[in-house]
Amino acid sequence: MKKRSVAAILVSGLIVSAVLTGCTGSKTTANPQPSASSQNQVVNVFSERHYETDKQLFEVFTKETGIKVNVIEGKADELIERLATEGKDTQADLFITADVGRLHRAKEKGLLQSASSDMLVKNVPENLRDKDNQWYGLTVRARVLVYDKDKVNPAQLSTYEDLIEPKWKGKILVRSSSNIYNQSLLASFIAINGEEQAKAWAKGIVANMAREPKGSDRDQAKAVVAGEGDLAIMNTYYLGQMLNSADPEEVKVAQKLGVFFPNQNTANGTHINVSGAGVTKASKNKENAIKLVEFLTSVKAQNDYAKANFEYPVNKDVEPSDLIKSWGEFKPQNINLTLLGEYNKKAVEIFDQVGWK
Amino acid sequence: MRTLRFLVNKLNSWSVLSVIFIVLILSPNIDILIHMFTKPNENWLHIKTYLLKDYIINSAILVVMTGVFCTLAGTIMAWLISAYNFPLRNFFKWALILPLAIPPYIAAYTYNGILDYTGVVQTFLRNDLGIQVNPRYFDIMSIYGAVFIFTMVLFPYVYMITRAFLEKQSASLIENARLLGKNSFEIFIYVILPISRGAILGGATLVALEVLNDYGVAAYFGVQTFSTAIFKTWFALGDIDSALKLAALLMLSVFGIVLLEKILRGRKKYNLTSKVRPIIRKQLKGAQAFLAVFICFVFFSFGFIIPTLQLLQWSILTYEKILNIYFIQLMFNSVWVALVASVLIITISVVIANFSRIEDNWFAKLISKLTLVGYSIPGAVIAIGVILFITQMDHQLQWLYKMIDPNSITLVLGTSIVMLLFAYVIRFLAVGYQSVESGFDKVGKKFFEASRMLGKNVTQTFIQVDYPMLKPAIISGFALTFVDIMKELPLTLILRPYNFDTLATKTYEYANNEMVHEASIASLIIILVSLCAIYLLYKLGDKEKI
Repeated sequence: MKKRSVAAILVSGLIVSAVLTGCTGSKTTANPQPSASSQNQVVNVFSERHYETDKQLFEVFTKETGIKVNVIEGKADELIERLATEGKDTQADLFITADVGRLHRAKEKGLLQSASSDMLVKNVPENLRDKDNQWYGLTVRARVLVYDKDKVNPAQLSTYEDLIEPKWKGKILVRSSSNIYNQSLLASFIAINGEEQAKAWAKGIVANMAREPKGSDRDQAKAVVAGEGDLAIMNTYYLGQMLNSADPEEVKVAQKLGVFFPNQNTANGTHINVSGAGVTKASKNKENAIKLVEFLTSVKAQNDYAKANFEYPVNKDVEPSDLIKSWGEFKPQNINLTLLGEYNKKAVEIFDQVGWK
Repeated sequence: MRTLRFLVNKLNSWSVLSVIFIVLILSPNIDILIHMFTKPNENWLHIKTYLLKDYIINSAILVVMTGVFCTLAGTIMAWLISAYNFPLRNFFKWALILPLAIPPYIAAYTYNGILDYTGVVQTFLRNDLGIQVNPRYFDIMSIYGAVFIFTMVLFPYVYMITRAFLEKQSASLIENARLLGKNSFEIFIYVILPISRGAILGGATLVALEVLNDYGVAAYFGVQTFSTAIFKTWFALGDIDSALKLAALLMLSVFGIVLLEKILRGRKKYNLTSKVRPIIRKQLKGAQAFLAVFICFVFFSFGFIIPTLQLLQWSILTYEKILNIYFIQLMFNSVWVALVASVLIITISVVIANFSRIEDNWFAKLISKLTLVGYSIPGAVIAIGVILFITQMDHQLQWLYKMIDPNSITLVLGTSIVMLLFAYVIRFLAVGYQSVESGFDKVGKKFFEASRMLGKNVTQTFIQVDYPMLKPAIISGFALTFVDIMKELPLTLILRPYNFDTLATKTYEYANNEMVHEASIASLIIILVSLCAIYLLYKLGDKEKI
């Protein structure tokens, strides 16, 4: 008796799923259409930015232009491998990452192409886009020092380089070196100060760490308030997120923290990074892809980016959110962001050599 | 000539299908394996100098400690549940499987959320009791914290397999030992452990493989393991060759573990199936009953209740912002890909296991061992192999696509769900296969041979004779793979078609942005769906046995 019921469940499951596979299969293959058919305009995106804001902006874009945005989200490295493997057959038109190092890697691997328009040149300042126009910044992130306002006097803070002084022994909190933001930070020091000094800096930080590197940027902030260390190296927008957290305890923690922009009185300013987008070499909807980047860097979209996610807009016509403005203006590192990609590998090697886990 | 005739004799649909399946499963990995034999380069030297020692030590600590704890916990509880009566026994019997519904990376985020500075424990101590504690005491982000997380969510593998074995196989032995005056402890050491060695090791092997393959927990807790190393080498150093060398080392250790299992299990098979009957359970009273309930309760709480309650609290905080109708779509996507892939996996497992049972030769053994390959390779590595393979397939099939639709795009399979399903099959075949194979082991060959003697062919025999006896094994294999696929992340993330989100990818989306609270709703639905699967299939399986 029971045999039948199990068999029936399995078989019906199989049939239902087969039907479903059929439906979805045909749907998905129909979606990424070649650009030739003008009624069904699409742009296919590989994205590393996993934000609600991005999805809402894509919807607005579709409403305004009639171009449908198809998205696959993933980790940048794996998306790069997928792009490379699919080669000229890829359906992806636009590649979006949360870090400039990855954009550079995609460019180096020949996965992107030059794409330009007057509007893009106007929207994105020169230092925030590729010199060959292969990628454009969408948002700017600053990696800053965060401290407990009750315990640390910001007058004691000055530069990233100062953090390796003995007075900070056992006081520095920072996450693992496998994190791309740390890699880009060190890459910027290699670009500015040279390999030797960058290595000495990383070594000094390891010596001054309050604990083994672990957890996320938010975890570093909490550890500061918990008293595990005095200073955390982290991206600003995480603090913005914490201040707007659903958990009142997190808000309380974030309110105790101050933001300090290092290296304001030196030749080079605070480390910045961008999330950005590049048109793929094999793009079959290049015009649509450019239109999407134009839209994402437009005043309207940039306003949304700034408000929803506490990132700095790239478009100079857009003001950062009030919260971000309250932290004050700052002078960013004045280097070509491409260098962060070029020195990424060196940075990873240095981290291993000095034992930054 | 003779070998040819031998081969022709062996030719039937089961053997042909088995070979086809294995070839399909191996092909995507071959491109990858070729890289393994390239010369070591400077990156490899770098890895060897600075990192390899840590990787090996950390991975070994994680696997050994988790393995030992899971084995102890799983076996003790399996024994309690199958040999004793105590309050809530019937509830714990299936409740102790539930921790499997919780993906380890979610457990890691959740426990850290409970224990960190803004977590419920420290907040309570600070705000309500006014005690300032050293946060270090509550720091779970270490290798030992990882062992804790893995133990709490993976012990059910050992528990489930051992319990199923004890319930069916051990009645006479345990009862005889009792009659001969052995106490519970002696029975456990001298009877339970030796006879259930095979089952325990089967479970412990699954645990070890899950731990070796984990990326999420290790990366979040800052523990450097082989998996994190493979990602780092591949992506940060951009060096596929060295990454694959590490993957090969990982694969070797996996095969080492499997080999060890075989050796420890010994050649002996306990064919006690002639008299399957449940054990007459002893009633526990007083302190003993309390202790039994306590042990089960502790593991059930840490493995399931505590993380689930925390997720529930977070979802109450965030549901207004997060929850919308779209979640039904996510749930639907998650469920049906898991369903289709599990059905595929079980079908393939049955075909190969049946083939390898009938043909008791080296070739069949090899085929059977090869099902493990996917389980020993990190998800991301499989993903790249699959993309490569499917892209080539698409090129081969161009003529077909053009025939059907002259405007067809090149990557038809490559942009469809087929790619993801294919990868799931490679990755989780081992899970389904282990279960089905153990079922065949138990059934043995006697009935099969009798049926063949009476003139049925292999397929008829399977449907009429083997299948009814195999059903419990098939059901448990199906449940395990279904739940594993529900939880799966790296493959789903990279291989899904455009605009295809699942609960796991949604969880990742938030967790990756360090929005752990916002990730709770998707996590909770994963747990609920897995819970339903476990419960339904448990119920179904339970009725079958008696």
